[in-house]
Formats: sequence, structure tokens, C-alpha cells
Amino acid sequence: MSGKQAARPRTRVGKYELGKTIGEGSFAKVKFAKNVENGNHVAIKILDRNHVLRHKMMEQLKKEISAMKMINHPNVVKIYEVMASKTKIYIVLELVNGGELFNKIAKNGKLKEDEARRYFHQLINAVDYCHSRGVYHRDLKPENLLLDSNGVLKVTDFGLSTYAQQEDELLRTACGTPNYVAPEVLNDRGYVGSTSDIWSCGVILFVLMAGYLPFDEPNHAALYKKIGRAQFTCPSWFSPEAKKLLKLILDPNPLTRIKVPELLEDEWFKKGYKQATFIMEEDINVDDVAAAFNDSKENLVTERKEKPVSMNAFELISRSQSFNLENLFEKQQGSVKRETHFTSQRPANEIMSKIEEAAKPLGFNVHKRNYKMKLQGDKSGRKGHLSVATEVFEVAPSLHMVELRKTGGDTLEFHKFYKNFSSSSGLQDVVWHSEEKQ
Amino acid sequence: MSSTIATDSHGLSDSWTIGERVCAALMPLIAVVEVLILTVTGCFSYCPCISIIDQNHKCTYTAKDFAILADETRFTVEEVEALHVLFKRLSSSLIDDDSIHKEELQLALFQTPYGKNLFLDRVFDVFDQKRNGVIEFDEFVHALSVFHPYAPMDEKIDFAFKLYDLRQTGFIEPEEVKLMVVAILIEFDMNLPDDLLEAIVHKTIADADKDNDGKISREDWKAFVSRNPSLLINMTLPYLKDITSVLSSFVFKTEAKP
Repeated sequence: MSGKQAARPRTRVGKYELGKTIGEGSFAKVKFAKNVENGNHVAIKILDRNHVLRHKMMEQLKKEISAMKMINHPNVVKIYEVMASKTKIYIVLELVNGGELFNKIAKNGKLKEDEARRYFHQLINAVDYCHSRGVYHRDLKPENLLLDSNGVLKVTDFGLSTYAQQEDELLRTACGTPNYVAPEVLNDRGYVGSTSDIWSCGVILFVLMAGYLPFDEPNHAALYKKIGRAQFTCPSWFSPEAKKLLKLILDPNPLTRIKVPELLEDEWFKKGYKQATFIMEEDINVDDVAAAFNDSKENLVTERKEKPVSMNAFELISRSQSFNLENLFEKQQGSVKRETHFTSQRPANEIMSKIEEAAKPLGFNVHKRNYKMKLQGDKSGRKGHLSVATEVFEVAPSLHMVELRKTGGDTLEFHKFYKNFSSSSGLQDVVWHSEEKQ
Repeated sequence: MSSTIATDSHGLSDSWTIGERVCAALMPLIAVVEVLILTVTGCFSYCPCISIIDQNHKCTYTAKDFAILADETRFTVEEVEALHVLFKRLSSSLIDDDSIHKEELQLALFQTPYGKNLFLDRVFDVFDQKRNGVIEFDEFVHALSVFHPYAPMDEKIDFAFKLYDLRQTGFIEPEEVKLMVVAILIEFDMNLPDDLLEAIVHKTIADADKDNDGKISREDWKAFVSRNPSLLINMTLPYLKDITSVLSSFVFKTEAKP
């Protein structure tokens, strides 16, 4: 047996199969996931339910997530549904796969003013829309600004600020930096979500155009002081109109700070501005949010390790060639079978790994889904590319049956493939041979 | 008056000679032998269907026969005609006699007429509704009608139950399930120790046997299938929805006569 580690069984939550972690905080993580019913990819934010309860955030979080579920805006990451297990809350989100906006700055340095303005337009559109629905972010920062595959800005974590702030108390005092946070939030003077979000948007705009932070000090005391007084200097390449707008946004007094309606009328902002166009969704159901946050056991999902399909005796029996009457309609009946089986007493994930190891050297591309696998030949044969569907079934405890079925290409080539495939040393390790069976 | 008649008839039989009595007794027997001789020499043919008999002593279906079968099943007259073309191809593969023998069905499904297969026996027996050892065309059409994509689920469930009820007791019993599991493992060229076989059978019976009587009744089976719809995957033949075009590649000469 090769020393390579066998693939871990996949974890299922409801109809979602969880994949790798794509983001992590102290009390929450975001995982890549797939809806097994339709194959769509999503992101799932997993919150610690006990943490929510401990900090008495249940009601607030429930309210904000319900509001967020109602939001359908092209610049806001969509919440599809909410589920809960005994220990976790799962928020199913639109998957945005173009990376963080700030990766662009890390890679290319500052952005041109026009490009920065275009992203700023989208950010303000998102913020304004959410504010109009009574949802405030309160924690706008680079990690929350994502780009989709078309380069469209998507703001994430709206409505999760209640939870995020608990996490960020730690960050602001210990390891993190409060660079994007409004002075009134830092000073705990009581604040209005809308004005503090505008401040954060101003800091983000500055970073997009400058390539560095407006407020940056090695120690927290000095940094707080600078933020409190709004001590920053715009670089020389900023246009006068941009400098003027930033002064209005980064106003330390929340009462005199520019508000969205005024911002929309600003000369610099208005250049090339397009309002977001989108379809309003009617009748969005938020019952799942209520169910996830209440104490009832009936709506709980379980996080379970994905297992192969269990095959009962009749499923086994129904695979007899005698029951496949399609053969009556075949015009030319070859004397070769188009499917074959073998049994194994090894764990299913190990069988999957070995099949993959055996198929790749034979020139097959491997596409996996649960305990199914499609092997696609990269060379064209007599009847096109040979493709083979394989599936691992659990027939009895600790006994698996593997079915290999030709789904495309030539049947004789399938037999030749199986001969080479089954004689590979890796596969020999998992196949239960006749002498062992006696 | 009745007594007179009785006496008369009695008197009449009394007047028969021994020779006449022997002759009267043997007459029906001679008639049966004569019929057998005539049949063997081909003076008339037996044909199990409403049909015209042609010179080759084969059943030739009329348009009326096809129409009757179409009425009784999910097929149109054209589809019944197409199935007849298929039937002729299958029924003449080994013995050209207008009926499908078990070996011919085995040849069609397994590409070999040899060897014993429990499942083939079951399929053959369920198709052979008249229990005369061959599948005739009307049986063939009626059975395939169950496999039609639009056939009611209940018909498919019932047909599958009949296949698996090996002893036709109205129940699928653990011994029958075990026999079938052994048969499928042989077909797959696989071999399992008895304890694993028992585990598979026990788990399946436990899952399906809702009334806990140790066997699977029709009601148990219906409920089990509704929870495991994949069990009926072979009970639908998509080909049958478009049978005329599927079979158009075969020599297509309709046998219907006006």
C-alpha cells in the first residue's frame, strides 16, 4: 500500500457537502460547499452557537440575518438559507470566487482614480441599499470586499456585525488593528451604524487610491489619537475633488460627517456613476432563520460524515443482466459486458483514492463526487473518448462493492482498460481476491 | 312415462353385442389418435392466437389482432407492429416457431443460450402467463407494457414482486432473498462467506418487513419500493416510448393482413 493518506470522508450538512475552509476567525469559519441536489457551489459561514448564546446575541443576530436574507443586491453577497445543528449555526452564502479587492492593491499597488471610483460607487450602492433596509455593517474592512469572476464588487458579512464585533473586541485590543473603524466606535460614545459605515468607506477609498492606510501607527494609543482627530494627509496624486470628498467623509464628528444623499451629489462621486439595477425579489421566506435560532429540536440539521450509498439485497439483485431488458432492443449484441464489479473490505475513501491512483497513469482524467467517480480517457479511441462511471457501494458492514460502467467509447477498449486498471498494484491492495473469499 | 323410457333405454343397451360395446368404447380413443396423427402430419396447425394460418404453418397476425393488443396495452397499433418485428427476430433466433423459448430469451439477454440463471428463469416465468413453456406474442406485448415509461407505478411494483416471489407464495421470504443474492454474486463472479450473505439478507428483510412477520408481503414491498425507488430502475424501458424508431433499423415488413 502506498503511504499516501486516504481521502477523508466528506461532511454533509443538510443538502450541502462541505469542502475546504476558505476563511477563519476565532469563533467562525467559512467553508466552500456544494449543494448536492443541483451541483451549485456556495460558501457556508459556520458560527459557534454556544458563543452566540453566551454573548446574548441570539435575538440581534436573528433579526439582522432575517433582514439580510431579504436583501437581493448585485453588490451584496446573498444569504440563501440558514440552518442550525445543536452546536453550530450555518449561513449559506453566495460563493464569490474572484478573491478580495485588496489583493489587487497588494499585487498592483494603488489603483487609478477612475478604477477606484468605480469600486467606490459599487461599495456605496451596497451600503446605501442595506442602510435603507435597516441593516448596517459596522465592520467594513478589506476582507469583506470581494470580487466576483466578472470583477463586480460584493460586500460580505453585512448583518453579521453583532457577531463579528465580539470577535473583533479581541482584535482591536490585542493583535488586530482598528484602522477602518470610526472614532465614535473606538471611543464607545454610542454611534449610528450608517455614519460609522460611511467613515469605513472613506478609509477604503483612501487605500484604493493611495495604496496605503490614512491612519497607521505602530502603537494603539497613537493610532486611536490620529483616528480621533482625523489626522491624515492625502498624497499629491489625488485630484483636488477627491481630496475634498475624503475630508467630508473622514470627519471625526459623526453629526457633521457627509451622509449618503449628499455623497451622491458630490462632483467627484458623480463622474461615471450608475445606479445599480436589479430585480426585487418578492416573498422571501425567513422561516429558516427563525427555526435556526429557536430552541426547537425538530429543525436541527446534523453534520455527518458522507458515506457511500448503502446497497440492499434487492438493489444488488436488480443489477442482474437478466433484468436489463434493454438488451432485447440492441441491434448488435457483442459478447462483451459493459460493466464490471469487484468487492473490497477496505474503507470506501481508500478505495476511491486507489481507483484514482490506478486510473491517472492510464491517461484518465478523474472527476469525483461523493463516492462516485467519472474517469474520462484523454485519448480518442475507436468510438471517441472512453469514459467510465465508477461508484462505491456499501453492501454490508465493512464490505464494499465497486461498480465500473462504460458510459462512452468502445466496449472492447473498456475491457482492455479494465484489464490494465485491475492489475495495477495499487488497486490489487484493495480488491478482495477469490482466495480470500473462500 | 319416465319409467318406460328408462326401461326402453336399458333394454336397448342390453341388446348390444360384445363387439359393439368394445367398438363404442374405443371410438373416442381412435378419434384422439387420429387427431394426433393429423396434427403431426401437418393437416392443421395449432396457433395460440387469433390469426390466419399461412402456408408455413406460422401465426400471421391480422390488423385486428394488433388493434386488440393495442387496446389492451399502452402501445399504439404501429408500436404493436414494431414489437412484432422484434418478437419475430427473437423467436426465430434458435427455433423458428413464432414463440420465444427460454434459450432464445437467454441468447438475447446474455448472448449465449447455455447455462442456468435463476433470474432468467423468473423473467421467463412471469412473461409466460399461460404457463405453456414458451412466450407467445400476446404475452410478450402484455409483459412489455408494464415496462412502458407511462405504465402505472403499481403495475411495475407488482411485476417486480412477482419476479422476486420465487415460490409464488405471495411473500418474498428470507430464503428466496438469499438464493437471489447468491445467484447475483455468481453472475458477478463474486463469492462471499455465509456470515456476510446472512448480514445482507437480514438487513434487507429488516428494512422491508414492516409488519415484522419475517417475510415481505405485497404491502411491505410497496412501502419499501416507495422508500427505495431505485429498485424499479430496470422496470422502465425508455426504448418503449419510441419503439417504432428504435426498431426501424430492423427489416420492417409488417405482417398485418387486411
